[in-house]
Amino acid sequence: MQAMSIAEDYEKWREKTEKSLNKRPERKAQFVNSSDIPIERLYLPSHEMDSEAAYKEKLGFPGEYPFTRGIQPTMYRGRFWTMRQYAGFGSAEETNRRFRYLLEQGQTGLSTAFDLPTQIGYDADHPFSRGEVGKVGVSISSLADMETLLAGIPLDKVSTSMTINAPASVLLAMYLVVAEKQGVSWDKVSGTIQNDILKEYVARGTYIFPPKPSMRLITDIFEFCSKEVPHWNTISISGYHIREAGSSAVQEIAFTLANAIAYVEAALEKGLDIDDFAPRLSFFFNAHNDFFEEIAKFRAARRMWAKIMRERFNAKSPRSMQLRFHTQTAGSTLTAQQPDNNVVRVTIQAMAAVLGGTQSLHTNARDEALALPTEDSARVALRTQQIIAYESGITNTVDPLAGSYYVEALTDALEERAWNYIRYIDDLGGAVAAIEQGYMQKEIHKSAYDTQRAVERGDQVVVGVNRFTIENETQPELLRVDPELGRKQSEALAKLRSERAEEPWRRALDELRAGAERDENLMPLIVNAVRAYATVGEICDVLRDVFGEYQAPIF
Amino acid sequence: MAQPLRVLIAKPGLDGHDRGALVIAQGLRDEGMEVIYTGLRQTPEQIVNTAIQEDVACIGLSSLSGAHLELFPEVVRLLKEQQADDILVIGGGVIPEEDIAVLEAQGIAKVFTPGTRIETVAEFIRTHVRLRPLDESPAASVTVLGLDHVGIAVHRLEDALPLYTGLLGLKVTHEETVEDQGVRVAFLAAGGTNIELLEPVRDSSAVAKFLAKRGPGIHHIAYAVPDVQTALNQANSAGYHVLDESPRRGAHGKWVAFVHPKDTFGVLMEFCQSSQAGDRT
Repeated sequence: MQAMSIAEDYEKWREKTEKSLNKRPERKAQFVNSSDIPIERLYLPSHEMDSEAAYKEKLGFPGEYPFTRGIQPTMYRGRFWTMRQYAGFGSAEETNRRFRYLLEQGQTGLSTAFDLPTQIGYDADHPFSRGEVGKVGVSISSLADMETLLAGIPLDKVSTSMTINAPASVLLAMYLVVAEKQGVSWDKVSGTIQNDILKEYVARGTYIFPPKPSMRLITDIFEFCSKEVPHWNTISISGYHIREAGSSAVQEIAFTLANAIAYVEAALEKGLDIDDFAPRLSFFFNAHNDFFEEIAKFRAARRMWAKIMRERFNAKSPRSMQLRFHTQTAGSTLTAQQPDNNVVRVTIQAMAAVLGGTQSLHTNARDEALALPTEDSARVALRTQQIIAYESGITNTVDPLAGSYYVEALTDALEERAWNYIRYIDDLGGAVAAIEQGYMQKEIHKSAYDTQRAVERGDQVVVGVNRFTIENETQPELLRVDPELGRKQSEALAKLRSERAEEPWRRALDELRAGAERDENLMPLIVNAVRAYATVGEICDVLRDVFGEYQAPIF
Repeated sequence: MAQPLRVLIAKPGLDGHDRGALVIAQGLRDEGMEVIYTGLRQTPEQIVNTAIQEDVACIGLSSLSGAHLELFPEVVRLLKEQQADDILVIGGGVIPEEDIAVLEAQGIAKVFTPGTRIETVAEFIRTHVRLRPLDESPAASVTVLGLDHVGIAVHRLEDALPLYTGLLGLKVTHEETVEDQGVRVAFLAAGGTNIELLEPVRDSSAVAKFLAKRGPGIHHIAYAVPDVQTALNQANSAGYHVLDESPRRGAHGKWVAFVHPKDTFGVLMEFCQSSQAGDRT
């Protein structure tokens, strides 16, 4: 009865309001978000949303299925998210200094950026590495570099995330060997490797091998870690880069979950048990500008993953159903113009991540549209998180926006649209087939182009870029990577190659080759090769020989 | 004649961020250009080879990884080495302002940073490739040694000569009747080039028709080229309407050929072979 009367009152209100639009028109004829979901003038309670049954089915309680309200019962009342700033540039020594600085400033976990040669499996002295050594991250060619990178950092206390994909096994092996040398056993180390090759094909570009052997390397890691490194997050299935490449919010979660489904299927095919590896799967999302759309996106993704794991894969352990995710604020929203404005953008985006229940967070620095962050700007970025955590009060209750008519309606709408995408990708033959056909790439590109046009038309305002611009901006101080680094790293590598013991090195690489040709789990063989100071490039070259290289189609 | 401008969008180095490159590629296509995208991970050598093979007028380089200072100038250097440096090179990406000056000093014509409108890029390409010699493609461009002469149609040489020999003090270096074209001509040396005055000797000649239609005035501009036949082929294959299938004899016994004024913005264009050596028959 009550719902009826609200509906009647609403009709009256709507008529009255719409009459007044002649005199006081709204800013736009239609309001929509990135996912093309029309936004109503006003959201109302609805029977569908507010019944007890709907509450139980859609929201539940924090720490319980379907985890819409969060994966832990107390969320940030217990412990804040991990403040994990992505850092890395230049040499291992320089990055080690930045790591220690961030830890001294109250950061609670590390996140390593590697340079492109490392990410694509080339040593610093490879011709393709020209101009790229140390530029977007730290240059790591051998175990010696990794020892320097982690010097003085207690690996049993600090968790480390590594943005590494195609050669993830190699960098993980290096990390484990350094832990061993520090006297820390593998069951004490914790961290994450990104290890998400599918989104590299779609959006990020640091692939090496074709999909099939790449999936094998990934499931080898799942298997190895479930036995040897139980606290390691074996993959961070990433929507972040899909969003950065221009996708909408709904595409971000749909494509990420579709990729996740492909990994799970590959692992099941290998004979692994779902509840053995699924609890170590983690996710990585983007926090973009549209505040409520983003919050709803995180909540929808959590609910969808829980359903996928329980209904599609028959997982039994609740831990398999919990979507744990890292968030980074959206790099693509940062502007080179008036860079201080970026601090404000980052704050709004970070709040969306926190209100969406993230487990860890990277906040971008204001100067990242221009270069890697300086120490000062990296500190402001970290302080932004600390202010949200300690001062804003939004952390004092769990899922504070639940029950907002708008947020719940958006959460439902995003979920529905994301399911449509996932069903379509299933019809194409799954994520790998969809990627090979260029489906995800084309969808993302279309969204990116629409955004560009909307900005150029002025329909989408970017403050400081197409509105509120200023002449003669002053340029901030920028971080510079030593241009001589490539040469220095090459010299260091030559020295390492001449000094290491030849015999164990050769044998380790031969065994790796033999293992790759058979169907052996490659992780132990890669650990051996790393111990013998085989370099990232040498190990990847052996695998390139056996597996071949991925040739990206151009659509 | 007006073929679409061909542009190569390229990703040098190992950077995998191609949102910008793809958006620019599509945007330039929508601006009417023909765009080839290289895909990721191209060496400067590969980019230059593709540019030459594909006959592009412009290369757009995109990098967000900070490798621009090494890779962009290398592309320019290799283009020079391949004598293809008439290809316009522009760049874009995450590039700090102080690096832009460095890049521009090394031959990157313009660097566009995030927030640039696509039409701004397109306009820059259009205005800057048009300044290049004749055609956008290096392999197809005519080698021009200089401006040989400017031809001016007059009713009577005797009436026109006093202006040039009197007021300007130029000297007549050559006079002749070119039967083939139905004209009597006088050449006057004017600094590094010449003025050719043309008087029709019969009503059916092209110059007579020109005078009847437009009165006295500039009739043609002649470029000295090493080989008229080659220039003719190049103009022909670039889609310009040529008046001669093969060179013919002009004044001084030079080999000449013409391109129709409707394709050359109203001025009849002559190629003339300055060396008299070699009988082409």
